[in-house]
Amino acid sequence: MSAPTMTRRPRWLTVVGLLGVVAMGFTVWLGLWVTPPDQFQGNLARLLYIHPAIATVALYWVGLVAAGGSLLYLWPRTRSFFWDRLAAAAVEVGAVFAALTLVTGALWGRPVWGVWWTWDARLTSTALLLLLEIGYLALRRVPAEPAIRARRCAVAALLIAIDIPIVHFSVDWWNTLHQGGTFIDPGFQIHASPSMSWTFLLGFVAFSLIFVWLLGVRYQVEVLQDAVGDQELEVSLTERWSEDTELVGAGTNAPTPGPGGGAP
Amino acid sequence: MSYVDAGYSIALATLFVYAVGLLLRRRRWERALQMSEPPREPEGAPACGEPS
Repeated sequence: MSAPTMTRRPRWLTVVGLLGVVAMGFTVWLGLWVTPPDQFQGNLARLLYIHPAIATVALYWVGLVAAGGSLLYLWPRTRSFFWDRLAAAAVEVGAVFAALTLVTGALWGRPVWGVWWTWDARLTSTALLLLLEIGYLALRRVPAEPAIRARRCAVAALLIAIDIPIVHFSVDWWNTLHQGGTFIDPGFQIHASPSMSWTFLLGFVAFSLIFVWLLGVRYQVEVLQDAVGDQELEVSLTERWSEDTELVGAGTNAPTPGPGGGAP
Repeated sequence: MSYVDAGYSIALATLFVYAVGLLLRRRRWERALQMSEPPREPEGAPACGEPS
């Protein structure tokens, strides 16, 4: 792939970013000023327009892209550095969303549960996800051949993905403080007023669009980093080659002790 | 500041700072790529190692 192709900025990504900003603006406006306070939680329910949406991105969208990309990299027929870079980009963006999930959850939990943090199964498995993602990013910085690094990181991403169903089912498998689905029941019935429901859904759209934009830009950074590495390697190899050529040339032109002497 | 205001502020500010950081990183790597490109020799000039 040539450098101009790699540094190209697709127009659709800009459009997604702009749509994400607009959707986020509407979510904040509706969430803070338009929707009514909740019957039981009062204004604290406004945090639920952003917390589940952030958690959905951190868990499902990131898991889908990182695990899917890693699987496709490991599968010989689809092996391409595109999948490796996409998975790496998803994990970094995922770490930001996982941290935000924990922070916004703590800000809701303190007044409702009375604690900032508890060793609840959902909270603990989410914190573990964040730690594993940080570990993946550290692993990616370990110097290695690109193919070895990609294979190593793909395996690590698949191991991290084991935590995703644990986070999801933690509220069913263990009797924990974190409640199960309360806004949408298993029959997909929404228990809220229309303005609250639309704000809730818009929050999911806004954070998902922002995730796609961040993923796209982070992927571009990954491509550029690899391109600079390749370019520097190429330049140093060319310099080395020209030094060797000059040395050979100097050896040929140098005065020789006798017939048949000099460099080959 | 209420918990709600703090939650919205932290979430939006974190995403904004991360997004700006990503754009700056992208620009820095684009410049690094331009800097690392080997200088192009003018047309008609002798190739590297070729006697002039």
